[in-house]
Amino acid sequence: MPLESEPLNAPTAPAERTASIEPTLPDDSDLVNRCQGGDTAAFDELVTRYRGKVYAMIYNMVHNEQDAWDLAQDGFLKAWKSIGRFRGQSSFYTWLYRIMMNVTIDSLRRKQVGGETEFDDSIALSRIDPNSATTPRAVALPEEKMAGDEIRARIDAAVSRLSPEHRAVILMREIDGLEYQEIADSLDCSIGTVMSRLFYARKKMQSMLRDVYENL
Amino acid sequence: MKTFEEKFTAWVDGRLTAAELAAFERELESHPEALAEKEAALDLGNLLRANIATRPLSNPDFFNHQILNQIHASQPSASVPAARPSFWSLPRMAYSGAFLLLISTLLYFAAVPNTRREVRHNQQYVTNILNARSDDPSITATSFHSKEQNVNVLWLDGLDYMPPDHKLK
Repeated sequence: MPLESEPLNAPTAPAERTASIEPTLPDDSDLVNRCQGGDTAAFDELVTRYRGKVYAMIYNMVHNEQDAWDLAQDGFLKAWKSIGRFRGQSSFYTWLYRIMMNVTIDSLRRKQVGGETEFDDSIALSRIDPNSATTPRAVALPEEKMAGDEIRARIDAAVSRLSPEHRAVILMREIDGLEYQEIADSLDCSIGTVMSRLFYARKKMQSMLRDVYENL
Repeated sequence: MKTFEEKFTAWVDGRLTAAELAAFERELESHPEALAEKEAALDLGNLLRANIATRPLSNPDFFNHQILNQIHASQPSASVPAARPSFWSLPRMAYSGAFLLLISTLLYFAAVPNTRREVRHNQQYVTNILNARSDDPSITATSFHSKEQNVNVLWLDGLDYMPPDHKLK
């Protein structure tokens, strides 16, 4: 059973320990080369390496297990079909991440057009003054402190009210720990756009969750 | 030139260079709430990291299996041999058809007169059998072929009665 890859922000194991456990694992570029020659077993190995991270990332975007499964499948199939055009200018994971983000954001946009989601921060953006404090300080009694499930539900609800692009940047930055350049590569936009989106996504999340993190 | 939003984000994430930081802190002197906003952004990040757990993928092997199935289904099968050109090309089929039509025509004209002669022979043969099987010598049977009406005629003389189960149908 192949080992799942670790999240980007997870502590890494000492090099010698990793080497003793996985002495013969080919690196991504070897597997990509084999995939470009039509080796589906090599692609199977890449899927095994990244399916956990990809699925978790998509799930945090869509908050639905079946949708996350389907989108991850769709993303991997797109990756297989276009792997011949991968030139190694970025890491395979960044390239894969970009495909997955495109698939996920496209899906969210389609749902947005169909009116299936509740987010609409295009309106809220115009109301946020970059220089202003986000929200009044919430006042809560100790007994109102929330349990973990409730907090998670509040976070999910807040994330679901963000636009697909804002969801992407805040999750990639805060959860996956990606650098601005990696986010920009994944979303095919400039670093300035990433930073600007991150600013407004944080503002909006703060306005929805301030009472949560201030009373923990 | 970075916008305020870009510089603020870089400030929160500690991505400003020393020169940029110094310049931005001077800019923030007119924004006394900025430090609290930075703390709030950091608190938000901590909240998200603490509560958004990595969602495990259920049935990971089936996940791979489905992907590989779809990949294999979308690829042309290597086990199917390439179609070879058939012996029956269109000109050959046309020539063969014409040849068979010619043979059929020749056989028809060659076989039909013989068949008619055989009919005549058969008529005589049937007459002999019918006469031989009759107990009454006054009953005679004759068969012949009428060319005009194109029918075979069985002519019975001296037969007064024929049982119903012997009637010709």
